[in-house]
Amino acid sequence: MKEILVRPERCMGCRSCEIACAVEHSVSRDLFRALSEMPQKRLYVEHVPEYSLAVPILCRHCEDAPCVAVCPTGALTQDALTGVVRHNRDVCIGCWTCASVCTYGVIGRDRRARVAIKCDRCPELDVPACVSACPTRALIYGVVEDLSEARRAASALKLARGVAASR
Amino acid sequence: MSARTPTVCPYCAVGCGFYITRSGIEYMQDHPVNEGSLCPKGNAALDVLNHVDRLRYPMMRIGDGWIRVSWEEALDRLAEEMKRALREMGPKSIAFLGSAKCTNEENYLFQKIARLVGTNSIDNSARRCHSPTIVALRRMLGTPAMTNPITDLALSDCILLIGSNLAENHPVVARWILRARDRGAAVIVADPRVTPTAWLADLHLQLNPGTDIALINGMINVILREGLENRSFIKERTGGFEELDVSDYTPDRVSSITGLSAGDIVRAARLYAKSSASTIVYCMGITQHTCGTDNVTACANLALICGQIGRPGAGILPLRGQNNVQGACDMGALADFYPGWRSVDDSREIDELRRLWNAGALPVGRGLTADMMPDADLRFLYVMGEDIVNSDPTVSRRRGKLKRCFMVVQEIFMTDTAKLADLVLPAAAWAEKEGTFTSTERRVQWVSRAGEPPGEARPDIWILAEVAARLGFDFPSEPEEVLAEINQAVPAYRGISRRNAGARGGIIWPCPHPDHPGTPVLHAERFSTPDGRARISPVHHTPLERTSPEHPLILLTGRVVLHYNSGSMTMRSEGLVKREPEMHVDVNPDDAARFGVADGDTVVVETGWGRARARARVTPRQKRGTLFMPFHFPETNLIASELLDRNAMMPELKIAACRIGRAD
Ligand code: SF4
Ligand code: SF4
Ligand code: SF4
Repeated sequence: MKEILVRPERCMGCRSCEIACAVEHSVSRDLFRALSEMPQKRLYVEHVPEYSLAVPILCRHCEDAPCVAVCPTGALTQDALTGVVRHNRDVCIGCWTCASVCTYGVIGRDRRARVAIKCDRCPELDVPACVSACPTRALIYGVVEDLSEARRAASALKLARGVAASR
Repeated sequence: MSARTPTVCPYCAVGCGFYITRSGIEYMQDHPVNEGSLCPKGNAALDVLNHVDRLRYPMMRIGDGWIRVSWEEALDRLAEEMKRALREMGPKSIAFLGSAKCTNEENYLFQKIARLVGTNSIDNSARRCHSPTIVALRRMLGTPAMTNPITDLALSDCILLIGSNLAENHPVVARWILRARDRGAAVIVADPRVTPTAWLADLHLQLNPGTDIALINGMINVILREGLENRSFIKERTGGFEELDVSDYTPDRVSSITGLSAGDIVRAARLYAKSSASTIVYCMGITQHTCGTDNVTACANLALICGQIGRPGAGILPLRGQNNVQGACDMGALADFYPGWRSVDDSREIDELRRLWNAGALPVGRGLTADMMPDADLRFLYVMGEDIVNSDPTVSRRRGKLKRCFMVVQEIFMTDTAKLADLVLPAAAWAEKEGTFTSTERRVQWVSRAGEPPGEARPDIWILAEVAARLGFDFPSEPEEVLAEINQAVPAYRGISRRNAGARGGIIWPCPHPDHPGTPVLHAERFSTPDGRARISPVHHTPLERTSPEHPLILLTGRVVLHYNSGSMTMRSEGLVKREPEMHVDVNPDDAARFGVADGDTVVVETGWGRARARARVTPRQKRGTLFMPFHFPETNLIASELLDRNAMMPELKIAACRIGRAD
């Protein structure tokens, strides 16, 4: 199962992912529109100045998602196969119960419709827009096992270098 | 219009590709530079097309107002005014400003008009970003351009980033630096500020502003003392090494000048010299100084004595600013160069062009550069796609003087420069026309038309051909025909055509014949100097702006990730403005306390050149004793220094002594 995985150590806070997300989800994406609407993003690049870091925070599409469990109207549902947590704005009543339980704070508020707004993992795209846009590949779309494997290989390389240097 | 049109980003010079479709942007995963990714500006690029503010009709000034006129009237008037100026005051009274946002073909025609009417007073915004690079690298290496492509960074084992905040200004470049880091490369960042680029660093050298030469000479000192220089490279490929005396630049002395620890200077020197392939990346933190040319020279000296040039992963990469600034210069939209880097002082080199253009005589000697134009006694000024009022300190202050001449501005928006004009011509934006753009890495890419310009706006190339016809010149008006003429005028472009420039990722010049694959790495066997050798030339540190009791702080300027230059395009993109809405100044907490400024206060920043208001942002990321203001807002220009680098006529835009206080 593919996830949007984050490698915060590579993020430089350029916020391209945020803009790509907002543009992908704008209602009128027509190139020949007069610019009128203010597109809204669904992921958030948080700057942590004390540590000179920026961390992209986005919906984890949690297994057993708490937001889905607490949603009183069934607006939030989880796809049994892909694990994607979707939001149906027609049913949403804007009670913010989901926002209260989400650890990541990634349930936003649609400024106009006053309903919840969250990552839908770009159903129309093979690769979510934020991932495609990220210049540093701080965001990747892949399976967790692959990320862990790459991380293991990187630490092994570091360690091996150390051992080799001390030989 | 086909369903998806490949295009190149209109903002910075990285040259990222993407597709334009009916519903917006589609990422181009197989583009060699960005592999689909785009920075925020690229993502918002389409906001410029069909924006409500786009200019739609030619307009003529009547008193304080404007009237809409036909193209016929506008072009006739333009030609008439230019001819009148020529007749009454001669070619000295007219000047041209080309555009690093327009295509090669357009800049080529534009400078050709200037030269054929008898003036070298043609310039473009490269003057204010990389003129020192042009002067220094041309003299030392022969070719004033990036030596290696961006993707080569992934092959480097040591990357020295100096005076470049690429994480915000050229974000996609970071992709390749991170790839090098994944392989274990060391990244050194020299910058007084803790920028997001500094986050990438293994070693961050937070040097005092304006001490780059001292740092680099200090590194050379260590390298020579420890015998880390590349003797055979120096002997076989360079000249001038004997004159390089850096014995004064001991780590201890350099430490006292730069504020760095001696240990860090030694470490940086060893990392750079010992790695199997090292790259220097620099940008306007190096060039926008009165010693800009010397700064570039110092960087090149370092690369040359270590032999870190002319191989994959080893080179010097000046990151250019606008999407076609390299191309505009290659095309000779410069007061000191004709197309193909032919010096204006060498009548032999120009002779070839004289024959190609069937011209009687061509002007010799440097014309007026951008910063000299306001003070010159001009009768006619033709500005194509440049917002000089908001990007040029001299022009900002002397805008009144420009009003004395007849001024034509060819633009996509009513910029502050256009507001001064007597005649405004609506131009097509990049995706509404065709032609080639040359990115910072010499990559020439053909851009196809994805849509029609709004109203009566026309491609610049059409406008220029019409103007030329009224002056009695017969110019081609199709981009392909103009490119064919460029093949003859610019040797590095000889083999470039719509075919190879239009292929995915285009082609990297020099491309001497149509079947040539392009030349990603320069100087592999010989340098492009007359004798094939690179020139090492000594340069020395001289203190720049000093603080004084009256101006106790140093003001630094730069860019932020969401905006672009003067902002005439990005300020019109709602998604971008919302996120960086107003002028701010970064202040270190100690300085804030010292001058009674709190976070969020409206403050006044004052230099010897002027004063500006801004909102204070108190942050420990700002080095003590310095302030930082982004230059996308008109205010910054009003207080930037007017001192010039005499070699390259580059204004000192980076630093100025200043003071800060609350506005009330
Ligand atoms: S919105 Fe929050 S709680 Fe719900 S799936 Fe996403 S991360 Fe989990
Ligand atoms: S696009 Fe990538 S580098 Fe830029 S802020 Fe988002 S995650 Fe970070
Ligand atoms: S890095 Fe430069 S060329 Fe690439 S998308 Fe951003 S502004 Fe455009």
